[in-house]
Amino acid sequence: MEANRYLRPATLEEAHQILLQDPKNVLLGGGLWLKKSTSFANALVDLGALGLDTIKDLGDVVEVGAMVSLRDFELSPLLKNIQGGILIEAVSQIMGVAFRNSATIGGSVAGRFPFSDIITPLLALETKLVFYPHKEMTLNDFLSFKGRLSDILTHIVIKKSQGPSFFKKVKTTALDFAVVNVAIANIDGKYRIAIGSRPSVASLASKSMEVVNNAKNLSNELINKAAELASEELLYASTGAASAEYRKALAKAYVKRGLEEVSK
Amino acid sequence: MKVNFNLNGRYVSYDITPGEYLADTLRSHSVLSVKKACDEAACGACTVLLDGRPILSCSFLSARVEGRNVTTVEALQDEVDEISDFFADEGADQCGFCNTGLALTILALRKELNNPTDEDIKHFVAGNLCRCSGYQSQFKAIKKYLEAHK
Repeated sequence: MEANRYLRPATLEEAHQILLQDPKNVLLGGGLWLKKSTSFANALVDLGALGLDTIKDLGDVVEVGAMVSLRDFELSPLLKNIQGGILIEAVSQIMGVAFRNSATIGGSVAGRFPFSDIITPLLALETKLVFYPHKEMTLNDFLSFKGRLSDILTHIVIKKSQGPSFFKKVKTTALDFAVVNVAIANIDGKYRIAIGSRPSVASLASKSMEVVNNAKNLSNELINKAAELASEELLYASTGAASAEYRKALAKAYVKRGLEEVSK
Repeated sequence: MKVNFNLNGRYVSYDITPGEYLADTLRSHSVLSVKKACDEAACGACTVLLDGRPILSCSFLSARVEGRNVTTVEALQDEVDEISDFFADEGADQCGFCNTGLALTILALRKELNNPTDEDIKHFVAGNLCRCSGYQSQFKAIKKYLEAHK
């Protein structure tokens, strides 16, 4: 790719100043999708010297630095048991080990990639994002935000929730992008249902969640209704990989199976 | 700009452009074991070891290896020859284009995993595509190689 400069700031303040100087200054995560997403950058800004590559236990939550590789995320004992291991299950299905050694969790989230297999389960959990200089927002708000943020994603904060979960990535070949992916978590008796790669970026199926969360018991009838709603309330589109109708049918089937599994 | 790093046990300082990728830098300095195939981080042919861990050099910016250790097959002739023998015994070699990247992944697998299961092996090498072998013979060769090193 074409770039005029490569910069490796020593502080977040310096990185932020560089970012503000020119909209064509690009922050680097792992940089693996850079070729596809950016043809020219005035400056490539490497965040590798800022100490953002650690995973910390902060009591009720785990704080993951934006520059943690997907492979280190996958191998972290701190993340292994959160919500039945849903995050590890999802991240381990992203390409191969060499890819995951290079890609970062911050790049994966900040990129808001529609095909992401890690955004969907993070959304099903109660994930919070921390930005420099001083912004915090939920992942759900970040995904809904339109436009370009001039802040730097520094940490992803994941609640150490426990309970059953479900993740399904539907793909045509082992290393392919998801045709659709579905993540469901039951956190303290409340269900969160996220559906991604429709092919737009993951969203919560709010109406479906409302139905299941307002019920005393999840009957088969209610699960069918929630699955139907999840397939109707979100936008599905056709691509070369799959038609909108197929994606809708998959979402319905896997929300149903997921709810059956996590409500056992 | 310059990038300074340890390449196969020797310190090098190369002129690069800011947006240059590692596979291009290495190949332009005659490190030709590093293959370019998909050129979009999907096939594993460009795998090299960065500080001992496999990465995809076709999509990894050269500037990011500043001060780090890059290892390619050129520095691991004996180890790779041994893997090649296991591959030959199982008939796992055909065109050989993917072999260098796969060999480095196998060496990383051996270092990283103790007593891997069949699933662990398949999972670890899943990112190295081969369009000739159908994978079964490669899998058998990898298992025998790992068993020989228990």
